[in-house]
Amino acid sequence: MVTEEEIERVSKLMKIDVDDHKEYVDKVHTMIDYFDILDSAGVESEEISMQEIPISNLREDKYIPFDEKLIKKLNNYKGTYVRAPKMS
Amino acid sequence: MNLKISALEFVQEVKNGNISAEDFVAKTLERIQSVDDKLHAFLHVNEKAVDQAHEIDKKVKSGDRVGACFGMPISIKDNICIKDSKTTCASKMLENFVAPYDATVITKLKEQDAVFVGKVNLDEFAMGLTTEFSAFGPSKNPWNTEYVPGGSSGGSAVSVSAFECIASLGSDTGGSVRNPASFCSTVGYKPTYGLISRYGLISYANSIEQIGPLTRTVKDTAFMLNIISGLDSNDNTTVDNKNEDYLSEIDSGVEGKKIGIITEMIEEGTDPAVLSATKDAISKLENLGATCEEISLDMVKYSVAAYYTITATEAGSNLARYDNIRYGYDFPVEGYEFNSYIAKARRNFGPEVTRRMIIGGFVPSTGHAGKYFLKALKVKSKLTRDINEAFKKFDLLIAPTVPILPFKMGEKIDDPIALFLVDINTVTANLTGKPAISVPFTISNGLPIGIQLLADSMQDKSLLQAAHALEQTVSLPEVPI
Repeated sequence: MVTEEEIERVSKLMKIDVDDHKEYVDKVHTMIDYFDILDSAGVESEEISMQEIPISNLREDKYIPFDEKLIKKLNNYKGTYVRAPKMS
Repeated sequence: MNLKISALEFVQEVKNGNISAEDFVAKTLERIQSVDDKLHAFLHVNEKAVDQAHEIDKKVKSGDRVGACFGMPISIKDNICIKDSKTTCASKMLENFVAPYDATVITKLKEQDAVFVGKVNLDEFAMGLTTEFSAFGPSKNPWNTEYVPGGSSGGSAVSVSAFECIASLGSDTGGSVRNPASFCSTVGYKPTYGLISRYGLISYANSIEQIGPLTRTVKDTAFMLNIISGLDSNDNTTVDNKNEDYLSEIDSGVEGKKIGIITEMIEEGTDPAVLSATKDAISKLENLGATCEEISLDMVKYSVAAYYTITATEAGSNLARYDNIRYGYDFPVEGYEFNSYIAKARRNFGPEVTRRMIIGGFVPSTGHAGKYFLKALKVKSKLTRDINEAFKKFDLLIAPTVPILPFKMGEKIDDPIALFLVDINTVTANLTGKPAISVPFTISNGLPIGIQLLADSMQDKSLLQAAHALEQTVSLPEVPI
């Protein structure tokens, strides 16, 4: 059983600030409780399958010039910088 | 001008000079203007579409090389980037975001002279299955505007169904192409994972999502797939399909094919009308020479929980980039501390996205990963193993696309578990990477029902052949709008 405190802690970690706190916590609680069905799947001994992609299949790691100044498209663009809030 | 023609008919008519792309696109825009107030499929309409079609007509007349689409009007889900046009993901967070590059599917369609008539609605960041979670208001089902059109590619399905375009591109993470296709009576296709490049699709859950076409006919889907599938150096999950021609031999039929009926997808909770339609579809396939037999996929029971656990985890990571510092809406940084600024800015996410971000932080976290995330990955592995075994015995699998009929707006919006379970028949194809298609099959009480067929990985061609055969057995009424 998930507690409200745990959900609140995760919201903070995910940098989520919500107005109707109780409503969010209740719904998230309901959703996570539903996931408890996974406990009865009987998959404890199952191996997690992974798809391996060899490095040779990846795109060549080289610089590809872009024909526009992307920084100009960003929010809070100032000259050659992006302005961010102060770090505490 | 008949706007109800298929993509292949459109191409033939323009090629033969019977219609001009310009006239057709102009009429399409008029149609959008006349019906979209009621339906809200479109978030933006391309005002240059007629001029672009005019240029294609000039090429046709002068005998220049013309791309396979011949100016065909297509709508694009608003989470796929078109250079220099807004790509909002139906989110206030990206309300003013202008894409700096084209998605690979857009590049390919442009090379084939498609005309994009506009960007269409979705649940915010493709998280939802009714389009009610769009920050810009829901789309409506053209069969009955009091009902949801499905989602998340609801705008795509509505635009094709209501003749506001000939075809559309959506994205399918857990049924987001097939579900609205079923609810709006269009064809909806989720290809084998990797068959279509995701470069330029705004990420939600990379390990399982795919771009897919929504069209009027199965042949049109094959036509679209010929254009947009194949390797892409910008997406290393793409697979080499050796330039397969999905249209050739599409009339091959299903004679001699073995089809498995997934029992877990027709159990309790399935609407009687949907169940009856599924039985009817099975008997039609048998009449065409297929052999149908029941097959149990035990992991289907756990697939929805596994799906939401995995997708929320990936969404939590993907959405972390929306800090409003690099891109986002107008919200000055002055006076805020770094973390509190981001948390405040994220208030512009809608409720469903916020919930999934919280879940995405919770299920893979220390102390909870073993119970949720790792178990979900194990269910995914077991389901994949089971379905691979099933495909040793069967050529195809069949189930209703959605176990229930389209429902009224607002009916399930406050019940997350009821909404989860609408996905029960579609998420299996995503979790296992298999191709799946929804074929419009019947209308019950004025609402559409689609039938879903699945095939083994890279058997997309054979899947389309079977879907075409099933489609030929039905004759459906026209959408009443």
